[in-house]
Formats: sequence, structure tokens, C-alpha cells
Amino acid sequence: MAEQKVKFMVNSRSYEIPIEPHMTLVEVLRDKLDITGTKISCGAGECGACTVLIDGKPTLSCLTLAITAKEKNILTIEGLAEGSKLHPIQRAFIDHGAIQCGFCTPGMILATKALLDENPNPTREEVKRALAGNLCRCTGYVKIVNAVLAAAEKIRKGGS
Amino acid sequence: MAEKFSVVGKRITQVDAAAKATGAARYTVDLKLPGMLVGGVLHSPYPHAKIKKIDKSKAEKLPGVEAVITIDDTPKILWARSFRDLPMAPSGSLQQPDEYILADKARYVGDPVAAVAAVDEKTADEALDLIEVEYEKLPFVLSPWEAMKPGAPVIHNFAPNNIVVHVTPPPFLVKGDVEKGFAESDVVVEESFFVGKQVACQMEPQACVASVDANGRITCYSPCQLAHPFRRELGKMFNKPVGMINVISPFVGGSFGTRLSCHNEPICVALALKTNKPVKLEYTKEEDFTATDTRTPHYYTIKMGFKKDGTLHAFIIHTTSWSGGYLGRAQLAGGITLVWGLGHYRCPNTDGWCDVVYTNVPLGGAVRGYGNPEIMWGVEQTMDMAAEKLGIDPVELRLKNVKHAGEMANMGLPIESSYLDDCIKEGAKRIGWKEKREKREEGKIKRGVGMATMTHCSGAWPLLIEHSNAFIKFNEDGTISLTVNPGSPGTHIWGTLAQIAAEELGIRVEDVNIVTGSTDATMFDLGSHASRSTYVTGNAVLEAAHQAKAQLLERAAKMLDVSPDELEVKDRQVYSIKAPEKRISVADVCFNAIWNLKGESLNISGKSSWASHYNSVPTAAYFAEVEVDTETGEVKVIKFITVVDCGKAINPMTVEGQCEGGIQQGIGYGLTEDYVINKDTGVVESDNFTTYKMPGTLDMPETEVIIIDKPDPKGPFGAKGVGEPAMVGIAPAIANAVYDAVGVRITDLPVTPEKVLAALKAKSA
Repeated sequence: MAEQKVKFMVNSRSYEIPIEPHMTLVEVLRDKLDITGTKISCGAGECGACTVLIDGKPTLSCLTLAITAKEKNILTIEGLAEGSKLHPIQRAFIDHGAIQCGFCTPGMILATKALLDENPNPTREEVKRALAGNLCRCTGYVKIVNAVLAAAEKIRKGGS
Repeated sequence: MAEKFSVVGKRITQVDAAAKATGAARYTVDLKLPGMLVGGVLHSPYPHAKIKKIDKSKAEKLPGVEAVITIDDTPKILWARSFRDLPMAPSGSLQQPDEYILADKARYVGDPVAAVAAVDEKTADEALDLIEVEYEKLPFVLSPWEAMKPGAPVIHNFAPNNIVVHVTPPPFLVKGDVEKGFAESDVVVEESFFVGKQVACQMEPQACVASVDANGRITCYSPCQLAHPFRRELGKMFNKPVGMINVISPFVGGSFGTRLSCHNEPICVALALKTNKPVKLEYTKEEDFTATDTRTPHYYTIKMGFKKDGTLHAFIIHTTSWSGGYLGRAQLAGGITLVWGLGHYRCPNTDGWCDVVYTNVPLGGAVRGYGNPEIMWGVEQTMDMAAEKLGIDPVELRLKNVKHAGEMANMGLPIESSYLDDCIKEGAKRIGWKEKREKREEGKIKRGVGMATMTHCSGAWPLLIEHSNAFIKFNEDGTISLTVNPGSPGTHIWGTLAQIAAEELGIRVEDVNIVTGSTDATMFDLGSHASRSTYVTGNAVLEAAHQAKAQLLERAAKMLDVSPDELEVKDRQVYSIKAPEKRISVADVCFNAIWNLKGESLNISGKSSWASHYNSVPTAAYFAEVEVDTETGEVKVIKFITVVDCGKAINPMTVEGQCEGGIQQGIGYGLTEDYVINKDTGVVESDNFTTYKMPGTLDMPETEVIIIDKPDPKGPFGAKGVGEPAMVGIAPAIANAVYDAVGVRITDLPVTPEKVLAALKAKSA
């Protein structure tokens, strides 16, 4: 199929690249742009490992055709920290032991960002619901949920 | 005790966590080498078939295809997925190698038959479609019972009745006279159980990258947990000395035992050799579910005889280890199942056996703690059945029969330390055992509590060599580089080893730089398995640190003009115990040693080759509280408590993380993870996260992890293993709680609503 030139922003940087219309967003990010923080596990929308934010909305990049992200703002895990200064969610995941193998972590952290942007003061139950689509095999989710609640508190208090 | 340590016992954040939190960590799936090709594998669609002819001409003609290979393009050398065709144990428990790199005959749906390497994934996929395989379908057997019937189709010629091997327990577990023991028992309980094919479900799909240099030297990037043994097996497969192979371990997206083996690595290496270009081979999740190995399923019968007072007197286990089309780890799983089961409780009369049987299903391998979760599912339910018959509380029955320090452990060595009594008592208190066992609810939702226990290992000595190496060098600023082999599969082992080194050397964890990642650069390490890295590699690190410390103090003694014997190091300062004002910083000592103008140069260092000749036993008790819906049969775990005796916890946050993750895997094993094979076709129907349901956030109960934290005499700073114990007794504790709630016993994993409803119906009939 004919390639099309598509323009979008990834982590505040503008890209204009030719892509084949069948390519998924995660393929473009990983294979074309070498932005590999976004992971593929199931490749079928079951596990949440490929979660990125498109215009702030959590999106499964393995089920999203890249051309549909045209002109949009995409945030991947690489774009969350400001230089060497980690985002409070990243800090909380590290400090609370919420990261083991780390393969689900990028998706978890971005799903968390989407949650906290909408609901800065979630209950434990609301956190569990927001992350229900993100699978993890290492942690039992306990420290992940703790980290999200701690990050929420820190952000509410204006900390970073 | 606590104030004695400055680093050990602290909840330090992990050394590799920032790389993982920012997307900087590169896993095997993220690797790209210049000129790299993409590999693909053609798997058999039939459970058992002769491969009569493979026509690869069309595939080879497709532009962009660089290689199409079949068995004829690979060395015809049989290998064993367990690596146990090569001696790894003091006594020979070798396994028959039974796999070629690509199949000579299809033995399960998913068996790799051919492979391609092409310029990109799309071309590789198209090439796979163009390979024409002429199969002759053969009769197949999907269960061990069919496989053992006379006249059943033969899967491997060396095993004419499909029974690979008849395994007996190690001699120390064949004790007394079981028949006499049962005759002398007041209560005898016998029950049959089934445990199925749990999938590791590590999040990173199986992947590898292989390349070959101009001298024919192979580099393989692989998530295999046993890098050094894997290198040796690879050398055997390709008829190369190990010096011609380098295995590099990138970040690993979860292991849980499935990475004890290699999977598609040999195919990838064969493609790299054929094309002389780097090749990357990634499995999809569906291929992970079908073409890598799963936990080995077992059918087994347990018979236990007790004296009136609850003393276990006779114990026998007969099990059938359900192997797939190749052995994988089914033989080892069968043998170790007997060890875990028969070795757990004190008993004067024990015996057992295990038949390992080939069938035409995907391979049985290792998943977390393999053998132990499988057999404890039955042992711990049988204990509860006996408790009921004896009229003794299940908690009391366990307390009566658990072994203590000094008694012989499951692996045949004395137990160095055991605080299982404490685990049981603490867990019972925290769950509210007495009150809740007696409570009965009105209405359709019934609550119950149940428990289970286990004993495990810290490495596999004396069933396997437990050899690790560590090398420490001081840099001129007083920091160290610590070279060890274990990779980073998410167990936080690097941080744990850094804590051990820092504690001994009086420096900070952030002063430790871990050097690892390749078999070229690291000395031998058996690898991460059997909950051994903290215990065995940890002891190697402690010994290397001890040696480096001796050099450091000797050097400092010269500078301070005192005897080394009176020196100690703490907070990065070497000081005299007699006269603490005599002190010098570690950095100054190291600088003086390296940049020494008098010619007394020394790079302060320490190196240890450590072989474990003991095996400390971690113990644990598990308590579940469940709700059972008597109308739907649904079981919901409300609360789960794990009480673990893993010696001194080097990092309690890591121990909790292991145990919490173990609860998730155990709940999945117990309730939802069901590997379904189509009985007519042999096709795996549960080959993704929708059809194979592992617990998500909403499936997890409230959890509590209690660490007993009492030091073991042999572990580094008193630590024992913990990774595998984390999941061993979860499922039986849940099953026992279900029985407490509604009085039905489910003996076949998993405890699905259908089974509960059927059992409730049968009970009320």
C-alpha cells in the first residue's frame, strides 16, 4: 500500500514521516522512530503494555493505526520526565517498589497519568479500576496502587 | 539486631528502577543491530505428523528473503531443553536429549518445523506462508492415560510405550516401611489430584538476537536465566567450544522459570549462521503460549497415615508427570515433586514414584518453584482432610508435624533454620483463624478461611552444583565495581547484591556499580533459579567483599601506621577501633593505592568462587479468606496473608514485592488460569490474555505480607531464598478456605465456578 506522509508530535517534538496506512502507532514509534519505551506484549489490546497518551487520553497503541494519530500530540514514557527531573509518578513508582521487571511500567505510568489528570484524588478502588486494563505479572499490583496514591498526594500538594 | 547493619535490612530503591521508569531500559525486544534481519518460525498445525517433504523454493524466491531453513540446514544434534543432558549434578541425573533445532517430525501443535530470515517482518511473514510442507498426519495422544495404553502411537522411538522414565525419590526419602506404616496408622486419607499447565505469562514475549562475527564467533542476546549453562548447551548444539560463544543478557521482562530454558534461540543462531547477518527472532504472545514451555501438569495420588494424636506416620505419593511432545523439564518436575512433597513433613515411612509420559501437547517446563506448588496443592488439602477426620484443628495438625532446625530437610541436608511454627502462629492470629473458622453465614454468600504451609530451598544443592563467582574492584574514589552474572529479570537481585557488598565494605549502595550482562565478561554463575541468587551469588559477593576489605584495611594500616587487625570500616571511613581518631577515608586509601608514585601500586580487589555445600530452607505459611457464591459457584478471595521465613530480609521491600506477586500468580493458578487444549485437534484454545485469564487489579484481594526476619546461620547476613516460596502454597490455602466455606473439596486445578457448582450439587444430592 502506498505510503503517506503523516505529521504528529511525539513528546513535544514534531515528526513528519512516511508511513504505510496499515502500520500501528506502536510499530511506528518503535520501528520507525526508535522510541522503544512503549512495549508490545499481547499485541491485541489485552494487556495495556503499549499504552500511550494521545491528546491526553490513554490509548492502546497496538490497536491504533498510526495515521489516525495525524496532527495529534502523543506522549510516551520517554516524554514524561523534564530532562533529568522525573515526573512525580515515576518517582513514586521507584520509591514504592512498584517496578519489578519493568515491562508493564511504561503503560502503567501513562495510564496513571491519565487517571490523575482527570481525578487528582482517587480512592484505592478508583485506582484499581483505572488500571484494570494493565496487566502485571510481577507485583500483584499492591505497590503499584500504593505508588499511584502516593503520587496523587504529592501532585495535589504541588510537589514534583 | 537491627542497629548492627547500616545497609542490610533497609528498604532501598532499586538500582535499575529509574531506567525502567523512563523507558531507557533496553530489553531483548528493543535491540537493533546494524543490518539486522527479522526471523520467523513456521509451527506445525498438527499434534503428530510425519514431515514428508518441505518445499521452500517459493519462499526463497521472495525478494527480501535471505534464508529459509529446515532440519536439513541445522546440525542434527539432539539437545535437552532443561540443559540436563550435560552433567550439572554431583550424581548423574541426566536427561535424554530429545529435540532437534527444527523438528524431524511434528510432535505437538506449535512444534517449530521451518524458519526464515528476511529484511523485515512483513516479508518474513509472507515467506512463512510460501513454505509448502507435506505432512502425513499420525494418530495422536493428548493425555498420559491415552499415551500409556498398549498400541498407542509412539512419539519418540526410544520410549516405545511413551513412558520416558520411571522416577523414584532420592534414597533419603525412601524411608521405613510404608505398608507397615499405613497398617499402624489410626487414620488413613487418600485422594487424587490434578494440576494443569500454568503459563508463566511474563510480559516480555520470548525474543532473541544472534550474530556471528568474521571468526565464526557467536553472540546471542537472550533473556535466558541461566546464561552460562545455556552457552554450554548452545556450544553442544552447534558443535562449538564455549569460548566461541558469548551470551549477553539484556533487561528481562519477567522470567518466572520459563527462561530457565532457551526457546527460539537455537533457531535464531542457525539463521544467523546461515545468513552471516544479525537476526532477531521475536515470538508473539500466541507463540509464547504454545511454543515455549508451561508449568508441567501432574496427575497424582497422595496417601497419608496418621496416629490418633495427629502424628504423620506413613506417606506415599504416586504421580504421573504429563510431558509434552518433548521432555522440557517434565522429568525434573516429576522427580522434584516427590522431593517437595515427601520431604515437607516429618514422617518415618515415606515412598513414591513418578512416571514421566510423552503426549502430543506443548511442552511441560518450569514455572516459579516448579514441583512445589504442584504437589503442595494436594499435600495441603490432604492434611486438611486428615485434620477433619482426626478432629484436630488444621493449624494444630501442621504445628505437630512440621520439621525443625537440625532435622533432615527436603534435599536431604539438615535444616539450618526454620521458623515455620512462627509463620503458622502469626498467620493464624492475623487472619483471626479461631473466630472465623467457627463463623457460619446465612444467605447465598458463604465465607471461609483456609491455610497451607511449605518448605523450599535456597538453590538446588546437592541435586545440582551451586557455583557462583563475584569480582569486586575498588575505584580510586572509593566506589566499587561488582561483577556478577545474574541478569535483571525483575527480582531486584542487583540491588540485593549491592547491599551485601556495601554492608561488608562500609560503603553506600550508590557506591556500588554492578557490572554484568555477558558470559565473556563475567565469571561462571549457574544462573537465577531455585531461589538461589541472594543465597549463593550473595555468599560469593560477601566472600569477595571480605577479601577486598582485607586488602583495603592492610593498605590503610600502612598509611595509618597501625596493625590491620585493629581497623574497621564504616560510613566510608577506615578507623582504628582502639583509637578512633586514627582514621582515613576509603577514597583516600583507594586513591593512594592506584595513583602511587612510590611504585607500590595496587588495585584493591576481591574475587570469590563460591560453591554452596549446604541449602537453607525458607518456610512459609499462607492464609486465605474467601467468599463463595453458592448460586454461581464463584470464589472471591477477600484477604490473603503470606507469612514468610526467608531469614534476614536484605531488602524488605523486595521481599514484599516477591510475595505480593506470588499471591497474584497463586490466585491465578488456583482460580482462573486454565490451559485448554482442543481434544479433537490438539490446538491450544487459551493462547492469549483473554482466553487465559491471569488476575488483574480488580481480581486481587487485600493482601498482607509478614516477614519473620530471623537470620539463618548460612545465608549472607542471614538471608535465605524467597522468590519461589512466594507462590507455593497460595492455591491450596484457597481450596481449603473454599472447603471451610461450603464443604466441597475441589481437587483439580483451577477451582472454576463450574466445578464448585457441580460439587455443591453432588453434595446436596
